[in-house]
Amino acid sequence: MKNLTKTLVFIFALISFNSFAQNYSPKFLQAATNGLDQIVAAKNAEDYIKAENYFDRIAAVETKEWIPSYYAAYCNLYAGYFTADKDLKDQYWDKALLEIEKAGTLSANNSEIYALKGALQFMKMTVDPRNRIYLMSESAESLEKAETLNPENPRISLIRGQDTFYTPEAFGGGKTKAKPILESAVAKFAIFKPANAIEPNWGAEPAKALLAQCK
Amino acid sequence: MQSLKLTLFFLFLISFANAQTKISGVLKSTKGIPVANANISLKGSYDGTSTDSTGRFAFTTTETGLRILQFSALNFVQDSVQINLSNGNITLNLILKEAANLLQTVNISAGSFITGDKKKGAVLSSLDIATIAGSRADVFAAMQTLPGAQTAFAESGLFVRGGSASETKTYFDGMLVKSPFNATVPDQASRGRLSPFLFKGTSFSAGGYSAEYGQALSSALVLESTDLPAKTTTGISLLSVGGGLDQNIRFKNSSITAGGYYYNLSPIYGIIKQNHNYIKAPEQLGGNIQYKLKSSETGMFKIYASYSRTRLALYRANIDTPAAPRYFSNNNLNIYINSTYKEYFGDRWKLETGIAYNKDRDAGLMTVNDYSRQDHLLEGKATLTKFFGQLSNFRFGAETFATGRKESLNGLLRKYDDQVSSGFAETDLFLTHKIVVRLGLRGEYSSYLQKYNLAPRTSLGLKTGIHSQVSFAYGRFYQNPEDEYLIIKSTGFEQADHYILKYEINTPDRNFRIEGYYKDYNQLTKLNNGIPDNSGSGYAKGFELYWRDKKSIRNADYWLSYSFLDTKRNFRDFPMMATPSFAAKHTVSVVYKHFFESLHTQFGGTYSFASGRPYVNPNNPVYLADKTQTYNSLSLNASYLTHVFRQFAVLYLNVNNVPGFNQVYGYQYSANGLNRQAIVPAAKRDFLIGLMITIGDNTFIR
Repeated sequence: MKNLTKTLVFIFALISFNSFAQNYSPKFLQAATNGLDQIVAAKNAEDYIKAENYFDRIAAVETKEWIPSYYAAYCNLYAGYFTADKDLKDQYWDKALLEIEKAGTLSANNSEIYALKGALQFMKMTVDPRNRIYLMSESAESLEKAETLNPENPRISLIRGQDTFYTPEAFGGGKTKAKPILESAVAKFAIFKPANAIEPNWGAEPAKALLAQCK
Repeated sequence: MQSLKLTLFFLFLISFANAQTKISGVLKSTKGIPVANANISLKGSYDGTSTDSTGRFAFTTTETGLRILQFSALNFVQDSVQINLSNGNITLNLILKEAANLLQTVNISAGSFITGDKKKGAVLSSLDIATIAGSRADVFAAMQTLPGAQTAFAESGLFVRGGSASETKTYFDGMLVKSPFNATVPDQASRGRLSPFLFKGTSFSAGGYSAEYGQALSSALVLESTDLPAKTTTGISLLSVGGGLDQNIRFKNSSITAGGYYYNLSPIYGIIKQNHNYIKAPEQLGGNIQYKLKSSETGMFKIYASYSRTRLALYRANIDTPAAPRYFSNNNLNIYINSTYKEYFGDRWKLETGIAYNKDRDAGLMTVNDYSRQDHLLEGKATLTKFFGQLSNFRFGAETFATGRKESLNGLLRKYDDQVSSGFAETDLFLTHKIVVRLGLRGEYSSYLQKYNLAPRTSLGLKTGIHSQVSFAYGRFYQNPEDEYLIIKSTGFEQADHYILKYEINTPDRNFRIEGYYKDYNQLTKLNNGIPDNSGSGYAKGFELYWRDKKSIRNADYWLSYSFLDTKRNFRDFPMMATPSFAAKHTVSVVYKHFFESLHTQFGGTYSFASGRPYVNPNNPVYLADKTQTYNSLSLNASYLTHVFRQFAVLYLNVNNVPGFNQVYGYQYSANGLNRQAIVPAAKRDFLIGLMITIGDNTFIR
């Protein structure tokens, strides 16, 4: 019994050690930073696909890290966003959903992953809202899960604000409804500190830009 | 000296370590087209790059030795090549194979309309069905706007490609529903019992369907129920004809939904003049309960049970003796239970099982005669699917159902019971991702008929472009004669052969299809001096067009259906080959929906046209040679999205036959043939107002 307790304590210590210690290899850290630079510089679908390819290559080597798959999904979200062809949009977002799913298996109960998943589900819905209205509730579910995991994650409010902003008023959306959500997003972004340089830290600018449009 | 050596050694090491190999080349598809934005990567390292718009790529690596170079792109199969990094720079000409993806993969589609929320190329979603003007959220009415289906006039049901109503069967999660329609008033079609909101998908097949479905000569309507609701919500509906309440309770991996409703048409019949003299306007009371359990990541158990009672009584005009109208009353009881379980085993096997029970009892008074009728069905079914290759599968299964009817007239009782057992096997073989062949076989044995049947079915799909395909289907279909004949005498299976050829173009915003078919009927039930036998036969041939466009007009969505039907049959009490009264040669439907954002309202309109249908005129020596006038109908609806007590609500208005077209379903003649009376709708126009409120959710989701 005592042994068991000891083992358990040891296991818990290990888990907490692992989750707090960001033991990234310098090589991985550098590569991820380079990738983030590519994202910042990206201007069109092609740039995002190239950045996605880059994170895919890292993900193939770093099979225990969720971050490369997360950003690959993020890149595909924007690649789809900047593409006009609905079939292609759909394909980018299908791929992004697979990538975010993979990130989820590497890091369970991660608020950032659920937030991005919620954003992707919503975008999938917009391709064919009539036939995919069910995705709206799936997206809401993912965002709720993200919120229970970390209510201070500002990206949840940003994504919700965005979704509300672009949803017609009649369907419970509109600028007036989006405004308080985006305000809370901006407030949360102001105090948000990512755990390290490569964990998700995007969205402050779009939140401000969108909020400006609500006024 | 020693230190110099060491320094040199280290310098050498460093320069060796920094020895870079440049890998460059071009990536093309098997057709020689450059592949842009492909991912080129050196396995096991971060090194790699993306191809440019001309398929060219170049990158350097410090890796050495024999390594694997991988290359992949969207819509292509990932490939790799071994390279040796020790012999200097490398130039490569790489070729990538196109992948089978959902967009470019052919499917089995002849005869069928894929509908449903989650399916690619879906034609109608559940929300579409609910908002078609004139359909008043009736699944069957909505299906009548698709080509191949006729407008149902004086009889409940879905009349498909010259087939009678009994030739279309309804399946709920794969299980046969014996009585899918509400209690019927003579000469008037009635609504389906099942709400469109129960389903995430409805697949309507006008022919050539899978060997999984038996006992249907013309058409299969396959309804697929929704999975777990997202949230706990309460739904309230207040209609001009009654109201309903339902409660959804969502648990972590399961949900319970319970609901009840009460409809009474007497207040509305006080406002809208009816062509029938009602003594008791239809009154319905019912409830249902659903339990769903997600038993594992891929497993789902569902049970749906419903109960309803309907009462009505009226006087029907009596053309022989106008002073003595005929009395008709009906008390209906319907019980339906459907329970299914499905689960995947590994990623190659899928099991689907189910048990369903249906009892439908009608009783009342017909003129002076007491009648009662009770239909029952108890079904068990299991299907196994094995997936193989990239897309192909093999399915086989068995089902058995105990069915029959019991009826009495003034205490005289008669009944029949049947045990129909069947097995089927079917495979979808993808020869390439552009060619698919389905081969299926179904066998049935009926204990009452004491006969076997064996029905081969096959389909072929051929992709002709990214968005287009050609399909062909052949199939043989059997079904038992209708209960009203079986109860008199055991005969044999009725039989139909379908041949279908279709061309379609599907994009996310537009659908176009043209389909031609020929149906050969044999062994149809025919009455010879009141005794049924299997000497009937017939044919149906025609073609259909469908066009749907969600893009050309902003915020609008419309579709057009046209059906041409040429059919003749000699069955039931026909003295000769003739076109049955339910078959119109030309049928047109136009459905239009427009959402006005500023008004928070969707407006919809449905126009239906049917050319004249034959009716029996005893004064005309040629049977079924007279035709009714053409049928026209224009229905309009509006759905206003709003909030009531801060809860999401939809205010709904539907008006049928707005211009008040005269609609004649057929004629009834007096016994001496001198007088006749038109069979017309219960009311020229009719309207429905409803308010649907959803508590617990502020979005338009149920």
